[in-house]
Amino acid sequence: MKRMMSPRRLTALAGVLGVAFLAGCAKNAPQDTWQPKGPNAEKIDNLNWLVFPIAGVVGVIMLALFAVVMVKFRDRGQPIPKQTHGKPALEVTLTIIPALILSVVGVFTVRGIFDLAEDKDTEMIINVTGQQWWWEYDYPIQEEYGVAQPIITSGQMVIPAGTKVLLRETSRDVIHSFWVPALNGKKDAVPGRIHLLRMEADEPGIYAGQCAEFCGLSHANMRMEVVALSKEDFAAWVKNQLADYNAPAKDTLAKQGEEVFLNQCVRCHQVNGLKRADGTPAIAAPEDNVYAGAAPNLTKFMARNTFAGAMFDLVNKKCREDVWGASSSEFGTKYLAGVTEDCLNTTDLRAWLRNAPVMKPMYANPEKLEPTDGKYRGMPNLNLTEDDIDKLVAYLLTLR
Amino acid sequence: MFTGASKYFLGLTAGAVVSFVLYLLFVTPNDLGAIALGTVVLVAGTLAGVTLFNRDAEADTIEDATGAASQPLSNSVWPLVCALGVALMVVGLASVAMVFLIGLGVLALGAIEWLVQDWAEGASADNKFNAFIRERALNPLELPIFAAIGAGVIAFSFSRIMLAMDKSAGAILFIIIASAVLLVGFLNAFKPNFRGKIVAVLAAVAGVALIAGGVATALSGERSQLAEASAEDHFAHKECGEEKSKYFDKLANNRVPLRSGVTATVILEDGKLRAEMIGFPEPTRYVTIPKANDVSILFRNKDAEDRRLKLTLGTEVVAETGVEEKLYTCTQMTGEDQENVLVVNIKKQSSVAGPYELVVPGIDDAIEVVVP
Repeated sequence: MKRMMSPRRLTALAGVLGVAFLAGCAKNAPQDTWQPKGPNAEKIDNLNWLVFPIAGVVGVIMLALFAVVMVKFRDRGQPIPKQTHGKPALEVTLTIIPALILSVVGVFTVRGIFDLAEDKDTEMIINVTGQQWWWEYDYPIQEEYGVAQPIITSGQMVIPAGTKVLLRETSRDVIHSFWVPALNGKKDAVPGRIHLLRMEADEPGIYAGQCAEFCGLSHANMRMEVVALSKEDFAAWVKNQLADYNAPAKDTLAKQGEEVFLNQCVRCHQVNGLKRADGTPAIAAPEDNVYAGAAPNLTKFMARNTFAGAMFDLVNKKCREDVWGASSSEFGTKYLAGVTEDCLNTTDLRAWLRNAPVMKPMYANPEKLEPTDGKYRGMPNLNLTEDDIDKLVAYLLTLR
Repeated sequence: MFTGASKYFLGLTAGAVVSFVLYLLFVTPNDLGAIALGTVVLVAGTLAGVTLFNRDAEADTIEDATGAASQPLSNSVWPLVCALGVALMVVGLASVAMVFLIGLGVLALGAIEWLVQDWAEGASADNKFNAFIRERALNPLELPIFAAIGAGVIAFSFSRIMLAMDKSAGAILFIIIASAVLLVGFLNAFKPNFRGKIVAVLAAVAGVALIAGGVATALSGERSQLAEASAEDHFAHKECGEEKSKYFDKLANNRVPLRSGVTATVILEDGKLRAEMIGFPEPTRYVTIPKANDVSILFRNKDAEDRRLKLTLGTEVVAETGVEEKLYTCTQMTGEDQENVLVVNIKKQSSVAGPYELVVPGIDDAIEVVVP
């Protein structure tokens, strides 16, 4: 008898299958579709529990049959057996059974699609705009939530828990896809169009997501997080977001950092309320420098936990674990505390300010910007001195 | 025919050309690699040409060639084509680069045809056989080129005719021509008598008529409306007032093919404006637009009068004059129960460069536009 597979290959195959199997047991899997944390994700999960076992059983049967046929009838040099055609009873059976299975799956799937598209009972609206490689969230005026003026933020989208939030998605450059598995399925953000996606979280907490449509070099680094707060905490968050700009005190490192920001960063990044020395508002002009025409608004920057498209933590590991691991009742307080000096992840923030393209690939070679008319697709290397970085970090810490 | 050595060198040339192209496309090219592969192409091509034309210096084939030389040679048009190519290149050098490139193409085509014809006529003493091998060598080159030229001439001539004719007459002509083509095709398929010379004559007459019509209409120019719109540059006169604009509203569309995915629909009804935004359960008094992003706003006029939607975008100081100018954009005039779309990309947030408003001239109402 011929040997089918060497022991070494069998061991390797068993190893791969074992690792794949064990991966399913991972506890720290924030983007697990099988752990729904909101009604829409729950609907998808319920559908999965119907479709997956059926598909799984069918798949296992077919693979087993396939394996048996491959082994039993493999070529041993025997003559080709007599060929037969036509078994009406078998053919009809093998047509009806899949049709029945598909009908059952189809009914529940179509109903699920309509359920997920429901938006008549929307309670809150957030505009979501994707661009290479970060998400912008703007909150239109909604007096009932205290949003008297539009709020604009990025990376982390804050929502009130237990509230039906409708996202109005679009894109500034290419097609992206917004996907936070714990809260809902994915929905494409397409330039020139508005697509709707419902978000609702049962409990306060942080829910991780990932752009799900390949969108260029740093697609893998285009992440997002949805932060759900209790209604009271959300009101406090809104109040803080709309609070006036607090200029750093004179003769401080932070004040010097504000000057560096005005000279360097404000070319692309807006901080609402920031003024130049002559008293005129400092208005960012990302449309002149960035291909997508926008850069993250850094007002209340330290009220977020992440930066650079939610790719890096603004808080150090200990504080991060403290916030992510908090109970529902404590979570809001810990999140709203923002990033303190003790909790700041200075390593990544300083590295980002030192040379951002090294941290996140963004086609930052100035000599290769012809396709984008000389505009960058992300933050370039500004060649800041260590002294400037010290000042900027001190200034950014005041944006709370 | 192709001798052993010539086949070898032709194959080598083809392989080298493919390698050269792949190298340029997929490998970061440097001078040394390009020179090396380019040299292989040139050397292999030259050797292929030499072995092809001297037929490997084999006695039998030379004897054939000697016999072939005694045969009368056919007239050739290709020297004239080469001369035309050279003339075009000279003219192109003195005028437009494109003419030079066309001349280069004509010269290359003429040279290849001439060389292959000469090679084929010396292949044997049998003229039919020589013609056969000439066709076999050149058909793969000739057919696509002549087909492309033919299709280009047809498309160009037809487009000139359509641009010169009245819009309605053009549509009718198009229907007639399409029907005629269908009819001829039908007859050709089902009536055996309707083949051969009849079809050839019809095709020739139609071709000549098409080219003649194309040349005549190209010389006479586009129809008056198009010529007028081009000369007056209608869309450069973007007048957004209450009155109908002489230019901007001249060819008002009043139809919007794509309604889905618009940021907002602004409706004028009973002298009031309201905005309906996708996802918002109720009409709003403001429209939120993301900064620096192309968005579409649909205007639906339910007023008895013709109206337009106008977006005011604050003011801007003109650098040259120092004068402050109002910034705005608008739709074309829109009739009752009709729609037009406004595509905008607002660069600055409304809190600093605004306020921005959607208004309808002649109507005392406004929708605020918020750009966060």
